[in-house]
This record gives sequence, structure tokens and C-alpha cells, in this order.
Amino acid sequence: MTWEVAVVGCGAFVPGFAGLSGWVRGEPSPDHLTARAEIVPKRQRRRASSLSKAVADAYADALGESKFDAASVASVFGSAIGEATTMVGLLDQMWGDAAMLSPMRFATSVHNAASGMLSIATDNRGITTAMGADYDTPAMALLEGIGLVLARGESVIVCCGDEAPPEDLVADGVGWSLMTAAIALCPSSDAPASCPRLSELMIAPGEHLSSQPGISENQLEEMGRNPSIGLLDLVVAIREGTRGVRALDRGAGRGYSVRLHGVAE
Amino acid sequence: MPMTPYPITGFAMCNSIGANRDEVRQSLFEGRSGLGPSPIDLPFEAMVGAVRGELSPLPSSLTMWSTRATRIAAHLLGEIAPEMERLRERWRPDRIAVLLGTSTGGADTTENAYKHYLSEGSLPEDYDLFRQHTFGAILHVVRELAGAKGPAWMASTACTSSAKPLATAGRLISSGMIDAAIVGGIDTLCAMTLHGFRSLDASSKTACRPFAADRDGLNIGEGGAFLLIERSGDPIALLEGVGESSDAYHISAPHPEGLGARLAMERALEDAGCAAASVDHINAHGTGTRLNDVSECAAIEAIFGREVPVVSTKGYTGHMLGAAGATEAAMAILSIVEGWIPASLRADPVDEKIFVNVSQERVDGEVRRVVSNSFAFGGNNISVVIGAPR
Repeated sequence: MTWEVAVVGCGAFVPGFAGLSGWVRGEPSPDHLTARAEIVPKRQRRRASSLSKAVADAYADALGESKFDAASVASVFGSAIGEATTMVGLLDQMWGDAAMLSPMRFATSVHNAASGMLSIATDNRGITTAMGADYDTPAMALLEGIGLVLARGESVIVCCGDEAPPEDLVADGVGWSLMTAAIALCPSSDAPASCPRLSELMIAPGEHLSSQPGISENQLEEMGRNPSIGLLDLVVAIREGTRGVRALDRGAGRGYSVRLHGVAE
Repeated sequence: MPMTPYPITGFAMCNSIGANRDEVRQSLFEGRSGLGPSPIDLPFEAMVGAVRGELSPLPSSLTMWSTRATRIAAHLLGEIAPEMERLRERWRPDRIAVLLGTSTGGADTTENAYKHYLSEGSLPEDYDLFRQHTFGAILHVVRELAGAKGPAWMASTACTSSAKPLATAGRLISSGMIDAAIVGGIDTLCAMTLHGFRSLDASSKTACRPFAADRDGLNIGEGGAFLLIERSGDPIALLEGVGESSDAYHISAPHPEGLGARLAMERALEDAGCAAASVDHINAHGTGTRLNDVSECAAIEAIFGREVPVVSTKGYTGHMLGAAGATEAAMAILSIVEGWIPASLRADPVDEKIFVNVSQERVDGEVRRVVSNSFAFGGNNISVVIGAPR
């Protein structure tokens, strides 16, 4: 079966860089060490986790580029460990003094915290999903988004991100640093010919980012362990105009790749 | 355009009222609740729906992935082993997807591991975040035991988690990405969720009373349900349509007039290409909280009127959170197959702000089409239309 969807926007949040463009240029920005989440009203933003805020920045950039209607666009949020830091905070509360948990922290400990926050912030009553598949999260989130485009003709923003895992729950040297990325998809027939296309999600070898200006090899290696890195690799390739079969994980997943190309290539 | 109805060719359930679909069927038929005191040590009273008895260990090759959630998953697969064998004969392994949902995943194991860490200064030797906590652990076990090599992921949208895969399965089959899917979900009891719902003042110390005037909250339950959905095949029932929506209102409270719930039900009917009048029964989200039941029933009344029998099965199983959607879809299938609608337990007297037909006695008779609702934190809503084979 052959299919094709168009990419009409991208976004990312990497701490220390000004969005996807800053990351691609390799220009560190001390003004962007934390996510701003300006798409979210202040009151909600104060309660949001660092992951949810980073998701909001990547989502907002992809949404802005795509020019999709914020109040109706469908969304898919992928994360391997979700709000694990919030969960550990709740466990500390629960076993610390056996007092009542923070109800707000509990309500925002769910995997779909960012999905709910953004639907409220954008007054969106459309379809939104949160999911995870460990190191296959980018590939599977992309497939969920592609399914929405192909089966329902939806415009979709797929966003993946993982915060650093709680230090107490992982061995030394296996952690990673926070990053999020987002991609805006729509039916190929709805997009200009200049927009890149995706087709053929498959288990096959593919290329991924192997060096990056503005960041040390150690930092790059640490970021490369992030289960959501595959989507960042893909949006960087799109922004740089690269084509070909792009890997959606860096060896820790089942080896999914996607074909990135132009119209009629 | 309405979706193509897809055959549901097998289903399994395991929860506090039964270890398999026959036991669940019997409990629903007899109006027997599975709620009881919490087996988890808590500093407060809580009534829960716990899976009874011992779960079998995983095969030795999967021991490293052993958690309560993965053992429930293996148990569910065991119940549909003959149907799975038939499914594998019909479709290539890489065309069979595993699309599940959970809210807790392996959180119960992580809770215990973290407690060990706080007291001993180290995690238990056999604890591994990626083998016990994250969603990949359950997916790995299901894929291995089922022989499914297609796409696999876990939806996690709190209490709608295991209904979401029904929507995904329909879309992926329709777009040609897969031919069949194991869909469903699993959740296990955790101290954190019991503490959490108490902190929200949403849990009841006694057996929950969905729709009743003096209801005072929910009980948490555990367990799971799997359904097999195929491109074609011999149907037990049909997945006819799914409607999804967001409240865009509040992170943990439903829209007061049930706006998102109404949108989900309207979209599900549109997706199924059927009229509200053709629906014989609604398996409501019906948590037993003050806010949910009134807003959901207002939405039901606006679409379906006051006649269609409305039932909450959470009075039997408790609120199975991430496993509720699939479990209640499976109970909808039971109603169609068996020809009766279970009673909604402990609803008397019904809240005077609720005007729908809360069915407090079992209703015997043909059931052709059921709508099953699930709503969640984040204002996430989904309604599923299950129909009798045509």
C-alpha cells in the first residue's frame, strides 16, 4: 500500500537553543535555557511541568509554521516516560509525611498532561492523544498522526519529548537530557508542492543526525539517548532540506525509518 | 463519511468480578459487585475492585518483564488463545498491531521499588525502568506472546486510554497500514492513584453509587480487557464508529454541561452513520462523582432523550481508569451477544438532576447497538459504537 502525507511545519525545544532554527544553526542561546510556553496562559503555565512547557514550545512553533487552526487541529503527544519526575515528587509526598497529595500535582501527573493543557490553552475541542512506546515512540506517534491524516483527512501536529529520567530510578550513565520536537502533517493534496512529503514507514536502516555544531560530543551522546530523539532528527533533516530514508530511533528501538522526499520524487 | 464497520472477532476480560469473560458475564447477570476493602496498605479507608486470586507467572523467557500488569496481559491473551491462533493464520505477523492503553503502566512496581530505595538507599536488584515501568514492557510481553510483529504502542490518556486504541485500530485498518489489531488496556491498583483521587475528594469510602442522589465518589478498580479487531472475519460484534473530543475546559473537572461528552457521542454516531434512536443501550462513564454523572447525563439526554437504558458498570468493577474503556466496550459486546443489559447498581434514589433512564434492574431483550463512553483528565473524551453483526 502506498501513501503520502505532507509536512507543513516543524518545531523543537532543546535547552540552550532558540527553537529548531537555533538548534539547526548550532547557535547556543543563554536566553533559552528553559521553555517559555507562551502559548499557555500564565496561570496554567505556572502549574505545568518542565516537560509540558517544552512540549508547548515545540507544538507552538509547528502550529505557527503550519498555520493550522489552533482550535481544531488534531494532536498526538508521544513520550516514553511522560511525567515521571512529577510521579516521583508524588511518591516523595506520599511516603514523606503521609499527608494528602497535592491534587493539582496528581492531576498533572498523567501522561496526557501536556495534551490536556494545550487543548485548554487553545480552546481546541478536537482529537488529541497521548501515547508511548519506549524508543519507538517517535515512529509510533508519527504513525498515529499519519493514520489521522489518511483515514480522516485531519491536519495533525505530532509532538514527542522526554525529560531527563529521575536520577533515582536509573543507573548512572543511561540518562539523557530534555528535548522535544514537533511536526505538522496534512493530506498531501492540501499542501503546496514545495512542502516535503513522508511515505513508507518501515523497519529499515536510515540516516540520523551524527554531529551538531554548538554542542559537545558528550552532550550530543547524552541527548541521543533520549527516547524521543528520532523526531528531532527528522525535523532537523526537514529543516536542512535533506531527503532520503530517515531513522526514527538511534538503535535502541525496533529500527523504524520513514522516507522523506519532495513531490513526485 | 461513516467509517467501515470492522469485525470484533474475540475478547477477553479480567477484573474484580471475574477472571474471564464467562465469570464477568455471570456477575453482571446476577448483579454481583466485586468491590471490597483495599489489599494495599493505606492510611485511610478505601473500597476497591481488585483482581482476585494469583496471576500465573510469565514464561521464563519473559521473567525480567514480570509485573502485575504484564501478568494480567498474559492472562488475557491466554483467554483468547484460540481466536489469536485463527488471527495469525489469516494475517501476516507484521500486519498485526498491538494497540493498548494504560494510565498506570508499571507504576505499582515503581512505587515499591522507590519505597525500597527510600528505605535501603538503592533500588531492588531486579528493578529496571524500561522492563517494569515504561509502556514498552507491556507491549514487549504482548508482542512476544501473541506473535504480533506490527506497530505497537500504548495510549495513555488517563481514563480514556484503552478506548483510544479502538479509534486507532479503525483508522489504521482503513488506511491500509495494518490488517488486524489486539486492542485493549490494563491498569493495576497503585497507592498513588488511591491517594491521588482521595486528594481530589473524588473517592468514596463505601461502594460507589453512580447516578444516585447521595453518591460521594468513585472506587478504583484494576484489571484489563483485550479485543481483536480485523479487516474482515467472523464477527462477534462490530466496531461501528468512534467519536473523540476535548472539553477545552479544565484539567481534572468535566465541562459542567457535558459539552465535550456530547461532542464525542455526536461524532461517534456520525462515524457509525447511525441515528441516536437506533441505540439500545448506553454504557456510561458513570464514575459516581458528583460532577461527572450530572454532566454526562445532561449530554446523553440532549442526544438520546430519556428512554434509552443507561448503565454504569463501575458499581461492579470500580473505575478501572486506563482499562475502563476497553472493559466497558467488552461489556457492551456481552450485552449484544447475551441479549440483556446489566443493572446499574446502587443508583436508588437517582439524583433529581439526572433525567435519563438509569436502568436499575437487568433488562432482558435484543440489544443491537450500544454506545460506550469514557472521559478523562485533560478533558479527553471518547465514545464507541458497538453493533450486532449484520
